[in-house]
Amino acid sequence: MGIFSDIFTIARWEVKKSFSSMGRNVLPLAIILFILLILATGFVARSGMHLQDGMYTLATDDRDLGNILASDGRFTVFISDGGTLLSERPAFDLVIVNRTILAPLTDRGRAAFTTLSRDYDQYVASVYNREPDLFAAYPLWIDLQYVKSELDFQATQNGQYISVRQRSLAPPVPQGPVVQVTPPPSTIPYSADELRKNLQQETGTNDQIARYTSLFTQLPSTTNLKTPDQLSPTLPFDSIIFVFIFIFPLYFTSQFFMMSIMNERIERKGEILLSSPVHPLVIIAGKMLPYLAGMLITSTAVILAARASLLILLPLVPVILFFLASALLIGMLSRSFKELSFISIFFSTIATSYLFFPSIFANVHVISLISPLTLIILQLQGMGFSAMDYLYSTSLFYLTSGVLLYIGVANFNAERLFDLHPFLPRLREFIGSSLSREHPYRSLFLANIFLIPIVFMLQMMALVLLFNLPMPLSLILLIVCAAFVEELAKSVGVFSLFFAELPALPLRTVVWASAATAIGFFLGEKLFLLAMLSQITDSIFGSILFLQQGALLLWMPLLLHFTGVLIVLLTIRTGGRKWYLPGVLAATVIHSLYNLYFVLGMAR
Amino acid sequence: MNRRNVWIVAKKELSGINYEKTILFAILLQLFVAMFSSFLMVGLTSLYDPSSVSQYSTFRYSIGYAGANSTLLDRLRETDDFTVYSMDLSPALESLKERKLAAVIFVPDTPPDSTGPVQITLYTLQNDLQATVVGVKLKEVFLGFEGDLRDARASRITEQPIELEFPPAARTEGFYEFVYGLLIPLLVFMPAIISASLIIDLITEEYQHETLETLVSTPVTFAEMVWGKILACEILVPVQAGVWLILLAVNGIRIENPVPILILVSVASLILILLSALTALHYRERTAAQFIYSTALVVVILVVVAVPENPLNLIVRASVGNAGLEIYGAILLVSAAAGLLGYATHRYAVRVGRLAQGGL
Repeated sequence: MGIFSDIFTIARWEVKKSFSSMGRNVLPLAIILFILLILATGFVARSGMHLQDGMYTLATDDRDLGNILASDGRFTVFISDGGTLLSERPAFDLVIVNRTILAPLTDRGRAAFTTLSRDYDQYVASVYNREPDLFAAYPLWIDLQYVKSELDFQATQNGQYISVRQRSLAPPVPQGPVVQVTPPPSTIPYSADELRKNLQQETGTNDQIARYTSLFTQLPSTTNLKTPDQLSPTLPFDSIIFVFIFIFPLYFTSQFFMMSIMNERIERKGEILLSSPVHPLVIIAGKMLPYLAGMLITSTAVILAARASLLILLPLVPVILFFLASALLIGMLSRSFKELSFISIFFSTIATSYLFFPSIFANVHVISLISPLTLIILQLQGMGFSAMDYLYSTSLFYLTSGVLLYIGVANFNAERLFDLHPFLPRLREFIGSSLSREHPYRSLFLANIFLIPIVFMLQMMALVLLFNLPMPLSLILLIVCAAFVEELAKSVGVFSLFFAELPALPLRTVVWASAATAIGFFLGEKLFLLAMLSQITDSIFGSILFLQQGALLLWMPLLLHFTGVLIVLLTIRTGGRKWYLPGVLAATVIHSLYNLYFVLGMAR
Repeated sequence: MNRRNVWIVAKKELSGINYEKTILFAILLQLFVAMFSSFLMVGLTSLYDPSSVSQYSTFRYSIGYAGANSTLLDRLRETDDFTVYSMDLSPALESLKERKLAAVIFVPDTPPDSTGPVQITLYTLQNDLQATVVGVKLKEVFLGFEGDLRDARASRITEQPIELEFPPAARTEGFYEFVYGLLIPLLVFMPAIISASLIIDLITEEYQHETLETLVSTPVTFAEMVWGKILACEILVPVQAGVWLILLAVNGIRIENPVPILILVSVASLILILLSALTALHYRERTAAQFIYSTALVVVILVVVAVPENPLNLIVRASVGNAGLEIYGAILLVSAAAGLLGYATHRYAVRVGRLAQGGL
């Protein structure tokens, strides 16, 4: 009970403090700005976005066609007679003479051509949508059915085609027993009006703003029937921009949390709190609570305003925790506001990339599930997500936030908060003091188990970055990156803990520390793989990151981890602390060679 | 105002930034995003338009065709993308499960000119990239079939759209528009936004660390100090934006008119920097100043984007090479605005400085 009331007291202080430090003279301007913001939004809604206006030039001899195409601001349309246009063709990106598009000559022309053909499709659709006899205009409807494959589950998810390569003229004969299927009915279970509504929803307006705002009111698709035009996988750009509306307030709020932590340190006000008998965890929880509540409330408000499902909140929770935990550490680590700005921009860009880029592939690739935002997009698209999906894509976020929070709590003391060491040594000190010096081996063992989520997250980032490079290159780079991250993560604990006595560390301690690290890391890795990531690790990229050798003896990777740490420690012992990075690189080389050997073995 | 003093302050701030290695973060960030942008290009193209990857386009997929005969069957046989087998639905589906086929199509015996729709069923494998590839390729065939059916029902259609003849060149699913129309203006203006929030840090730092009194006692005036900080932030903008243009060029994204773009970005960012310097001078406290600045920034960007021929749009046009002399007009206009704002900032800084000298 006492703990909770402490937390609430601190939370109340935090709210009071941030309001008083913002001061009364902020409020009037903030209100004015808020009104201006609403006015500006209205202005944008009315006048539209003019970012890409006039990107392309188009010339035609047909006035009607010109008028239709000029409704897209991206085109500057010129109308002239056919002869002149033919002679001046290179002056324009696209030339349409006699209702025939002349093949584009430049890259820009080809891009214009793509835009034009999209516009034209939309125009045709808008004409056909109005047809009284819908089934004359849209005679063909395709019912998409998915069949679960029972073979080669692993090979397909990475985009490798397998065994469909059949050359014979005779139709294939299935090996398994054939289950008799009744042919699907030939009549459509929906009325023409329902279908028409769907069509219009999709192609209704070409207005750039409406494309985004219509998401606010979009009903989930009522039918699973598609016209041929709707068949290709849709790029969820619109959903992604919409998701940004969720994420933006989160960035904003976590900035304030960072600043609050930083302010305590700059003005040394935190000392009073620190001298009170409450545990740092309570202080942090109390300071965090208002921001957490604020984030949850804004997210809920956005969801309600968008009339979307409240289920979207579920994947947002781990993201919020992750942001808060990182904000805490960033606020504690940086020495000045300048540094805070740069580090927070750096962090938010990386986090954005990690969150957003995979979700672009929401409709085509399982890898996209490593970002919780993918779940939001799936939910917005009316597909929903399962409990398993949730576990896959959020567990890393939960665990990483937990580890970051622990490091924050362990270092929330006067010594760490008020010294002004440079960034990297500070980071090392933070890790060092998260470990216990009385039980070095036990804490190394545990630390390495709990480092696993962060390691996986970093490796996932490498995966996001690399998985679209050409095939052999991406694999090799991935192997090296993964090995480097692992070696760095394993050695950073020992390095920080024994920093002072490292060059002269007794050999016995070196061996024991390496063993504790290796066992912890190995155990964490295996536990984690078993529990969480089987879906992602099934793809070929996953198996490289996490190398599941299956039948192979378990002591091999254990030995590898042990050797890695040992190499680093021995390098430092002989060369001094400056040799830390070379040591890690040496271990990376060995680790990569080992992995390469097994990947090549697997490929066979 | 003494120019040397301004320069001394600017140099001090720049070396401070350099000392804290924070600029390293900024450059790392640029590299990171540049890598991502190339990743995006390749990734989006290959996953959403798989035929752009040559290995997919030369491959013949096996398709099972079940149900009634139709022009769809002929169309499928005509393309080079598929090997079509007419077979019964049940064994076809079983073969699909065993991956002996890439897709199965079932067509009912609805006559082409019937009053109702023709509903065909397309079976593909779940959660499979191959399904996407086949889907994209089948789409073309289905569109052709839809055309056949439309022709058969032409008498019932009241309004035909204007017909447009497309050249055989396929649509390129290149991300030209995304890169030039969104990424480039965003990236080029990012240094401006960073610099503008940096000036808040630099100014409020003096207040919050209480180093102001020391500064005022030196021969440097308060206004000179503010201008020195503004200069330090302004210098960073063309440098960072220039690095962007080079990085993009290394990634194979060629940008026309780099010089006018850099000039326009520099002047426009001067406006942002001056605005946030004013905010910082007014509030003297980072949290408040940053809050007001970032809200104001959103308003400014919204308004700017909604105006036709805005600087961002001009940068887009200049970067694709479709801009005339408007960009120089914009540079003049924005410079004039920056000049006015600069004058206001100067007056304000002089006033604050006088107050500070008269005892805080």
